[in-house]
Amino acid sequence: MLEALLSTEAAARIRGGTKIYGGGDAEIRALDDISADFKRGQFTAIMGPSGSGKSTLLHTLAGLDDLTEGSVYIGETELGTLKDRDLTILRREQVGFVFQAFNLIPTLNAAENILLPLSIAGSKPDQEWYDTVVGAVGLSDRLDHRPSELSGGQQQRVAAARALVSKPEIVFADEPSGNLDSVASGELLDFMRTAVREFDQTIVMVTHDPIAASYADRIIFLDDGDVVDEMIDPTPDSILEQMKHLGA
Amino acid sequence: MFRAAFKGVFANKMRLSLTAFAIVIGVAFVAASFVFTDTVSARFDALLETTTTGVDVYVRPAQLADGDVWQNTEVGSIPEDTIASVLATPGVRTAEGGVAGFAQLVNKEGDAIGGQGPPTLGYSWAIDASMSPVTIKDGNGRGPEIPGEIVIDANSAQANDLAVGDTIAVLTIGAPEEFTIVGIASFGESDSLAGATLAMFELGEAQRLFDLEGQFSAISVAAEPGVTPEELAADISTTMNGDIEAVTAEQSNDEQLDVISEGLGFLNIALLAFAAVAVFVGAFIISNTFRIIVAQRTRELALLRAVGATAKQVTWMVVVEALIVGFVASVIGIGVGVLLAIGLAAAMNAFGFNMPEGPLTLLPRTVIVGMTVGLVVTIVSALLPARKAARVPPVAAMREELARPQRRSLHVRAVTGSVTVGVGIAALLIGLFTSVSGDIWFVAIGALVFFLGVSIIAPLAADPVAAVLGWPLPKMFGVAGQLAQDNTRRQPRRTASTASALMIGVALVVFVAVFGASIKSSVSSSVTDSFPGDFSAQSTNFAVGVSPAFTEEVRALTEIGDVSTVKIGVALVEGESTSIIAVDPTTIDTVTSLDVSPGAYEALEETNGVLVVESLLDENAWSIGDSVTIEYPQNPGGPTEIVGTIASENFGNYVITESAYIVGFSNPTDYLVFANSVDGVAIADARAAIDGVAAEYPNVKVQNKSELVADAEMQIDQMLVFFTGLLFLAIIIAVLGITNTLALAIIERTREIGLLRAVGMVRRQVRRMIRWEAVIIALFGAVMGVGVGLFLGWAVVRALAESGLGLFAVPVSQIVVLVLLAALAGMIAAIYPSWKASRLNVLEAIAYE
Repeated sequence: MLEALLSTEAAARIRGGTKIYGGGDAEIRALDDISADFKRGQFTAIMGPSGSGKSTLLHTLAGLDDLTEGSVYIGETELGTLKDRDLTILRREQVGFVFQAFNLIPTLNAAENILLPLSIAGSKPDQEWYDTVVGAVGLSDRLDHRPSELSGGQQQRVAAARALVSKPEIVFADEPSGNLDSVASGELLDFMRTAVREFDQTIVMVTHDPIAASYADRIIFLDDGDVVDEMIDPTPDSILEQMKHLGA
Repeated sequence: MFRAAFKGVFANKMRLSLTAFAIVIGVAFVAASFVFTDTVSARFDALLETTTTGVDVYVRPAQLADGDVWQNTEVGSIPEDTIASVLATPGVRTAEGGVAGFAQLVNKEGDAIGGQGPPTLGYSWAIDASMSPVTIKDGNGRGPEIPGEIVIDANSAQANDLAVGDTIAVLTIGAPEEFTIVGIASFGESDSLAGATLAMFELGEAQRLFDLEGQFSAISVAAEPGVTPEELAADISTTMNGDIEAVTAEQSNDEQLDVISEGLGFLNIALLAFAAVAVFVGAFIISNTFRIIVAQRTRELALLRAVGATAKQVTWMVVVEALIVGFVASVIGIGVGVLLAIGLAAAMNAFGFNMPEGPLTLLPRTVIVGMTVGLVVTIVSALLPARKAARVPPVAAMREELARPQRRSLHVRAVTGSVTVGVGIAALLIGLFTSVSGDIWFVAIGALVFFLGVSIIAPLAADPVAAVLGWPLPKMFGVAGQLAQDNTRRQPRRTASTASALMIGVALVVFVAVFGASIKSSVSSSVTDSFPGDFSAQSTNFAVGVSPAFTEEVRALTEIGDVSTVKIGVALVEGESTSIIAVDPTTIDTVTSLDVSPGAYEALEETNGVLVVESLLDENAWSIGDSVTIEYPQNPGGPTEIVGTIASENFGNYVITESAYIVGFSNPTDYLVFANSVDGVAIADARAAIDGVAAEYPNVKVQNKSELVADAEMQIDQMLVFFTGLLFLAIIIAVLGITNTLALAIIERTREIGLLRAVGMVRRQVRRMIRWEAVIIALFGAVMGVGVGLFLGWAVVRALAESGLGLFAVPVSQIVVLVLLAALAGMIAAIYPSWKASRLNVLEAIAYE
């Protein structure tokens, strides 16, 4: 009963997820029987020390990597059973991505990059939604620029707009502000929070920056491949406090 | 640094091995050409030696001024009684005279054996077995003893199921006759002399058949023990008049070898020309590959600089990499070349040019030349990229933006390219349209420079051309199509140099097609215009024409009216060897309509002068009434008056009368026989009558005008197929170049492809994107190639206009098919890179540095 209720609320969830790299002595257990839910309309940050498995968690949730054991759901779809083609189409339609760097195709301008997932699918954009996203991301006057003509912050915001333009079930962001200065970083994260709060989107972000994480509604802390703690409505100070605690 | 170079080679072995392929092919053709020629000479040398073991000296008619000119067809003869003075010469142990001539065997089905390649030889049988070039195979009969008997070579006997006791028809310069086979002979250990057919008769019979009564073609002489052939030859020569000479068997063999090598010269030139094309195309691919590899390794090179490597060392590292690739590829190329030579020998055998058995000859020279070609081309191609590598600043190791290729101005390129194109075209036109010496080199090097120039300009055209060619793609395939198009435009230099490699192959194929089509239309129009007659007859035997006996029988037919013949021979005109034709001026006008000056035939008949082709008249500033010196193989000739002109060069440059020909040449056969049916006789009946005569002469081919045209066109087509086939290999090399460029581009774009996959591009779309990129590159190359090829074809056809090649014809459908094939080749080139790209691991691709 509770399970069913949870599942309808979760845009993505992982159950008993284990990911093992290598074998024998070199075996690395990146995820260790981890379970977690990511509710619709929520901005979740994943934190944890290097090697805690946060990137692996993000990649397996996004269908970019597969689990050794356990299962991942985007909406009601179990990813483990999908072939490459179906998985790719699922990524295109239900998942958005923002990577740390190199998010854009250099030969396409900003508008084309934003529309890329839709172009690949051969579908028409929802013009109203597109205008909303482009307006919110503050790039209306930069749409015909190539990536090389945009600043790092602008590039990341284009990437974020692209992640949202297909109204995905969930957006995954991997250290999206990692390469940005604090101003550009603030602009990007503001936009992401706006997307969740005002447009009811779902974002999961991996970061090691407490300030970035403080934009999230909720933080889950990972260590040794499993969730070790959770925090709702974090502030930079509370996050730092928690990190110290975990570190100790 | 050398270790770094080795590691560089191993790290890039896939891309370098694709590059190396071009070198392998080029070197292989060079090596094959040498190995084949050397092997053929060595084997024939050995074979000829065994066939002349018992002979030390040949006494023969003196070769006239230009010894090579009349080889085989006009050997001449010496009086029989010469043998008396030979035998009287001290040091001569024994001597025997013999005759040689044309004799073609006819098989049981009534078809002529051979004749379209190796010669069909007839000889008299030597009584002294030690003097004979052949020996009767054990248990296969004996030599011919009386008229009506024949010995044939073992290869012909075997291939045509002939045995001792069988009756066989033989074609000679007279009417066909039947003989009884009394023996089967071989040349030493070999059943065949390069596929030549052999018919041997008793001496008197042979003299009758070859029209040499009372004559010898040559006298074979054996020396007393202790007398060297050189001494003996010198001694005999002193006793002879100037018309007869004595040469050692060795010298005679050497001359024969020269003839064989000359015969193979065409093949040799074709192989070397192709090697040049392959190497030239390969140079583009190598240069391109090294440039991309250097660009991709900018960071690594910068790091080397940062830790203390000098610019020179970095240059050397790239050059040494090229050296290693060139070395390995050349070694493989030589190996492949040897295999190719073996294949070539097998192919020659399959076409009836039987090669003697024996080992393969791989001379040090072959290895040295092959290695040099491979190494030099590789290193020269890698030099520019190597210098570029040296310009990478150490700071590029740290700063990404410096690691990216700097866009250099295209203005310089536009200027250098245009100048290069101009120089190439100028050289080409000088070679084609002026009578400068070494014009073939002007043409070849002009074409080469022209290609280079076009390839230098090509990057300027790459962007707009790709925009046009790729225009439908976004509409057809959405974003995959758009990206395919964009990717070809983002690095115009790379796109252009990849396409340029293909351009060369396509240009040459188009050139050959245009040239062929133009020859064909010129030939068919000139045949149609020049020969209004009903029938023509010519020999299928390369060496000998139609027997005069055939012509006489045709003349005798009641269904046939006018008959006139054309004979052909090689003479020295003003000291230069040239082909000369002979006609009967009183009848030739009834069967041909050659464009001659008014009254030319009448003047020819009256004065026994010569008609000269108009263009030669202009060239030499001769005019009607002047005299030219003509020297014939069988008589010294002398000043001959120019009595008229002929417009077309289709026949030959000089026309003399049949009566002058008969004195000047020994070959009585007709090159062409033209005949008209009698008015009132149905063409079909006349044809049946003439075909009835031809049935007795299996080496005579009777054709009406349309058959003549079709036949000529078919022969041209065969040549075209041969050349186009070779040139397609150049296209295959270029296609591998596309594969290589794409494979390298994919490595560069790993993260981009990873991103596309992450945001939802399915594998099929990735493959489509790369496939169409390849198609655009291929089409770009094909379009340039068609343009360049049409220009080359046009220039050459125009240049040869005065040689009767007036019509410039463009084989449109062939060119369209070629362009479509190029597009298809692009798709094939993309198979591997697109498969590889679609299989990239998305996560690793995104994380790729």
